[in-house]
Amino acid sequence: MAGLLDYTDGSSVLHRLNPLTKLVLAFAVCVAAFVTGNLWYLAALLAFSLGLGFVGGIGRVALRLLWTLVRVCAFLFVLQLLFIRAGTPIWLFVTDVGVATAARVSLRLMDATMPLVLLLSVTQASDLSGALVKVARLPYRYAFTLMTALRFIPVFTGEMAHIIQAQTARGVPFDTKNPLRRVSLILPLCVPLLVSSVGRIDQAAISAEARGFYLRRRDSGYKDYPFAVRDGVALLVAAALIAAAVLVR
Amino acid sequence: MSMLRFDRVGYSYGDGIAVHDLSFHIAAGEFTALVGSNGAGKTTVTKLMNGLLKPQSGTVYLDGVATASARTSRMARAAGGGVGMLFQNPDHQISKNTVLDEIAFSLSFGSMSRAEQRERAAAIADEFGFRADAEPFALSRGERQLLALASVLVAEPAVLILDEPTCGLDWRECMLVMDKVRARNQAGTTVVMVCHDMEVVGDFCRRMLVMDEGRLLADGTPDELFRRADLFGQAHIAPPQMVQLALRFADGDDALSRAMAPTADIQTALNAVLPLLSARTVQSGTCGPVVQGGVT
Repeated sequence: MAGLLDYTDGSSVLHRLNPLTKLVLAFAVCVAAFVTGNLWYLAALLAFSLGLGFVGGIGRVALRLLWTLVRVCAFLFVLQLLFIRAGTPIWLFVTDVGVATAARVSLRLMDATMPLVLLLSVTQASDLSGALVKVARLPYRYAFTLMTALRFIPVFTGEMAHIIQAQTARGVPFDTKNPLRRVSLILPLCVPLLVSSVGRIDQAAISAEARGFYLRRRDSGYKDYPFAVRDGVALLVAAALIAAAVLVR
Repeated sequence: MSMLRFDRVGYSYGDGIAVHDLSFHIAAGEFTALVGSNGAGKTTVTKLMNGLLKPQSGTVYLDGVATASARTSRMARAAGGGVGMLFQNPDHQISKNTVLDEIAFSLSFGSMSRAEQRERAAAIADEFGFRADAEPFALSRGERQLLALASVLVAEPAVLILDEPTCGLDWRECMLVMDKVRARNQAGTTVVMVCHDMEVVGDFCRRMLVMDEGRLLADGTPDELFRRADLFGQAHIAPPQMVQLALRFADGDDALSRAMAPTADIQTALNAVLPLLSARTVQSGTCGPVVQGGVT
């Protein structure tokens, strides 16, 4: 099964957008989420992100991502309810301000995460780095660093899953139903993850150098990334999202 | 009595079927090899055995208990010997700062007293030739593999699952690992080992399960299955080189049987194959020059 950040092949309009346009669109959703405090608008942004997933033919990936974020945000929501004391109590220790703030923070987190992950799922890493170098004029070493960091997220996620399995198999109770116990057991696992990560990154760096990393220039790539009409439309949508966020603030 | 039983087990990762309608059973005390090409479903089968993966269809029974309803960590620590698993990459298992802590870590989740944990861990460290205060990540790849094995064996598992335990090891390290495993098997531990090295399989295992594309192709002793070139072609694996040579030139079963002698007893194997070679004109350039006479 493909991971959340793995590229999903396709020919949808989202796949055909310029990689930079996708970045701008994702960034615009993120900015809009932080400009506005309107809960309805934050929910609408979430629906927009989900819609992007279905337009890109990765509806199932979008729903999986949403489910993952909902679980994280539920934890965050409860924490906010526990610690925010301002406002009028509506039930036990829960205040109206606490509920509104918790909902706002949770929705913002989902709004800020979803579009970037979804748009990266419909963009080849090589295209994104190519566009950053050729169109945005970013030095190749920075584009490479960014792409490598993104590429390693699913790798390390998989690595962590293997480590957890290996530790469970030797009797560490990771399969407990108590989430706090699980969190306490995760900490010692940072050691094997760190060791394997450092080793892997070192190998990747040596491998890149052996293949002429420092010889690469802006015109080394053969592929061009022109802007099309659809990119213009997408950029207009991005601008409209921010403008609407300012209006409903 | 079956220690492990697969009853029409199926498992898939998304759209890719890893294991399809798999049924077999392994008796207590057996030493079984699980062989097949990469992607045949061997690792999935090992993870189904100790409940790391739960079957999507069918049932896996470990000592009569369905793994779907049991927690893996509890099965690992079961009283009277649980199920231990050695992963291909020892670095996934190692998490402590000293060899002694690493070995004792497996015992720390049970009911054993701390003094007893340290005592047992020290005994195993001594058996494996480790300095108790050595730093695990400063050890060589082979030594880390041995340490991971020691950490599994300290819990005295009744079932030992090994996922390519000899991968990346030189011959000496490989024999060190396998000798420890064989000693446990001779003491009654059931061993299931995924392995690509047919010399090791031929030397140590008494039973082979050959897998291809998630299905069980054959089940038998190495001696029986190594003779079936068609089977090995289908599973994309090759029997030991000595056996291949004997198969090419042998007229009867006697030479073949002697060629299947353990690699440690290389003289017997060579003495079985060389007369066959010298009696014929070797057509293939890959066989190299034929040595006249036996090995002295």
